[in-house]
Amino acid sequence: MTAPTLKIENLKLGFKLWSGMIEVLHGISLHIGKGERVALVGESGSGKSVTARIVLGMLQEMSSARISGGLTFEGIDLDKLKPRDRHHLRGTRMSMIFQDPTSSLNPVYPIFTQFREVLARANPAISDAEARMKAITALADVSINEPERVLDSYAFQLSGGMNQRVMIAMALANNPSLLLADEPGTALDVTVQAQTLKLMSDLVEQHGTSVLFISHNLGVVREFADRVYVIYKGRIVEQGLTKQLFSNPQHPYTRALLAAVPRITGGGIPDIAEDTAGFHDPLIAHPGASEKELLS
Amino acid sequence: MPAIVRILARRLATSLVVLIGVSILIFAIARIIPGDPARIALGPNATADAVAVLRDKLHLNDSIIAQYGYFIADLFHGDLGISLYTNRAVTRDIADFLPATLELVFVSGLMMVMLGIPLGVLSARYRGTWIDHTIRLVTLLGVSAPGFVWAVILMLVFAYFVPIFPVAGRLSDGSGFQPITGFLLFDTLISGNIRAFGDALWHLILPAFALALSGIGQAARLVRSNMVETYNKPYIEMVEAYGFSARRIANRYAFRPSLIPSLTIIGLDFAAMLGNAFLVESVYAWPGLSKYGVAVILRKDLNAIVGTVLIISAMFLIVNIIVDLLVSVVNPRIRLSERPA
Repeated sequence: MTAPTLKIENLKLGFKLWSGMIEVLHGISLHIGKGERVALVGESGSGKSVTARIVLGMLQEMSSARISGGLTFEGIDLDKLKPRDRHHLRGTRMSMIFQDPTSSLNPVYPIFTQFREVLARANPAISDAEARMKAITALADVSINEPERVLDSYAFQLSGGMNQRVMIAMALANNPSLLLADEPGTALDVTVQAQTLKLMSDLVEQHGTSVLFISHNLGVVREFADRVYVIYKGRIVEQGLTKQLFSNPQHPYTRALLAAVPRITGGGIPDIAEDTAGFHDPLIAHPGASEKELLS
Repeated sequence: MPAIVRILARRLATSLVVLIGVSILIFAIARIIPGDPARIALGPNATADAVAVLRDKLHLNDSIIAQYGYFIADLFHGDLGISLYTNRAVTRDIADFLPATLELVFVSGLMMVMLGIPLGVLSARYRGTWIDHTIRLVTLLGVSAPGFVWAVILMLVFAYFVPIFPVAGRLSDGSGFQPITGFLLFDTLISGNIRAFGDALWHLILPAFALALSGIGQAARLVRSNMVETYNKPYIEMVEAYGFSARRIANRYAFRPSLIPSLTIIGLDFAAMLGNAFLVESVYAWPGLSKYGVAVILRKDLNAIVGTVLIISAMFLIVNIIVDLLVSVVNPRIRLSERPA
C-alpha cells in the first residue's frame, strides 16, 4: 500500500512555563490516507488546533514547546528534514484554512497581493500576469462571479462567505496533497458555512486532496468526513468510520458529545451531565478502524 | 475627485479654522500678560510721553477687538508688524530664524523615522530575543532623558572630550558662505559648494541627534508594541501557515497594519520637536526660531509673539495634514470610506 499522506505517531506536546510543564497532547496517533477526509473532533482546548500547527511546523518555532513523536508526510519523516525543506512544504504541499476568513486576510493589502504571494510559494518566478490568470481561475472554481473585482478588493469590502471562498481558493491554488481545515467557517453563519463546506468538499474530491478536518460541529463532520477521531484532553478516545461512530458511539465522552448537540425538533438545549466518569477511559477503536488494522 | 484630494481639501479647510482660532487666542493672551509692552521696549529711562506715543502707535489704547481688526487687516498684506525687540518686521525675523529651526527639526525627524522605525521593526521581529532586549534597553535610555540633557552630554563627549564634531553654530567661522534661503544644506548644494555642505552637515549632526534621540526611542518602542500586537492577529498566523518568509512577514504583512496607529503619534512627536528645539538650540547656540520665540515672550514683544506662534501652529498643522495623508495611503479603510461630499 502507498504511504499515507500524513501519519502521526504517539505525538506529545507540552509547554514549559515558569510554573512547570503543562502537558497538552499525551501521545496521539492518527493517519490520513491519500484522498481521505479525516475529522478530528473535540471540545475547545482538547488539542485539535495545536495538532494542525505541529504538522505545519509552526509550534516547533516556539521556544517553550516540547514536542515528541513521529510525523510522516507522504513517507518522509518530517523531523529528519532540514528546517528549510520542511518550511518549503508549507503553502505548497500542505495548506491550511482558518476559522475566521475575514480576519485571516490582511486588512491593508488587496486580495491579489496575498494570492500572488501564495502562488509564488510554489513558483517563485511567477509573473504578475500569470499569477493574475491563475488566481482568476482559482476564484472561478469556488464560484466567485467577478474574480477580477474580488482580486482588487480588500477583505473588509467582501462578505464573510466571499472571504471564505477566497481562502479555499488560496488553500487549493498550489494543489497541495494535504489540507488542514481548522474549524473552517465557524465564524460564519450556518447557511454560508454549509455552502462553502460543500464547495470545499467538491473541490478536494476533484483534486484528490487529503483533508484533516478539525471541528466541534458533529453535524458537519458527519456530512464531510470518511473517518473520525474523537479527541478529549489531549488523548484520542474513540476512532472509527464515520458511519460506525455515529451509529454506535462507544466511548462515554463521544456519547456525551453527541448528546450535547441541541435538537431542532424540540427539547431545547440538552442537559449536559456534569459527571465526567468514563471520559478518561482508554481508546476505543471500531472494528477495522484501528491504526494497526488500517496501516497494515 | 480622488480620495486623497478630498481628504486634503477638507483638512486644509479645518486647518484654516484652527489657525484663526489660534490667532484669536494668542492675540488675547499676549495682551493679557501683565506689563506694558511699550514701557518694556523703551526701557525704564524713557519719558512718559515717549511711552504714550508708542502705545498710540501700537493701537494699545484701542479696544482689544479693534486691535485684532488692525492685526487681521495687516495680515492680509503679509504684514505681521514690527518687532519691538529687533526693531525689524516680524516677517523678516521669521524668514531669518525659521529656516535654521526647520532644517534642524527636519533632519531630526528624518533620523527619528530612519532609525526609530527600523529599530522597532527589528525588535518586534526578534521579540523575546537578545536583539529585542538590547534595542528596548537602548531606546528606553533615549526616552528617559529630555533632548537638552542629551544635547549637553553629546556635546561634552563628542565635541569636547573627543572633538569630532563642532561645539556650536551652523557653519565654521571664516567659511565665508553667504546663505540664500537660510536652509544651509540646500543653499550649499545648489551653489555647488561641497565643502560648505559638509561643514553645515557636520554642524547639524550633534544637535539634530540630541533632538531626535527621545523621538527615536519613542518611535522604536511604539512601532515595536504595535507590531507585536499585530503578530498575534489571525492574518499573520495565516501567512506563517503559508510559509511566507519571516523577513517578508515582518517588513510587509506585520509592519504595514501596525504602522497605522504608530504614524499619528510619530507625526505628533515630529511636530513637538519644533517646541523641544528651543533648549537644544540654546545649548548649541543655534540661531533658530525657538530661541527667538522665547526671547520675544520674555520681552512681551506683542507682534513677534503672535507671529511666531502662528508660524509654529501652521507648521504643526502642515505636519498633521501630511500625517493624515500618509495614514490614508497606508490604510485602505480610510481611503475607501471617504465618500464624495
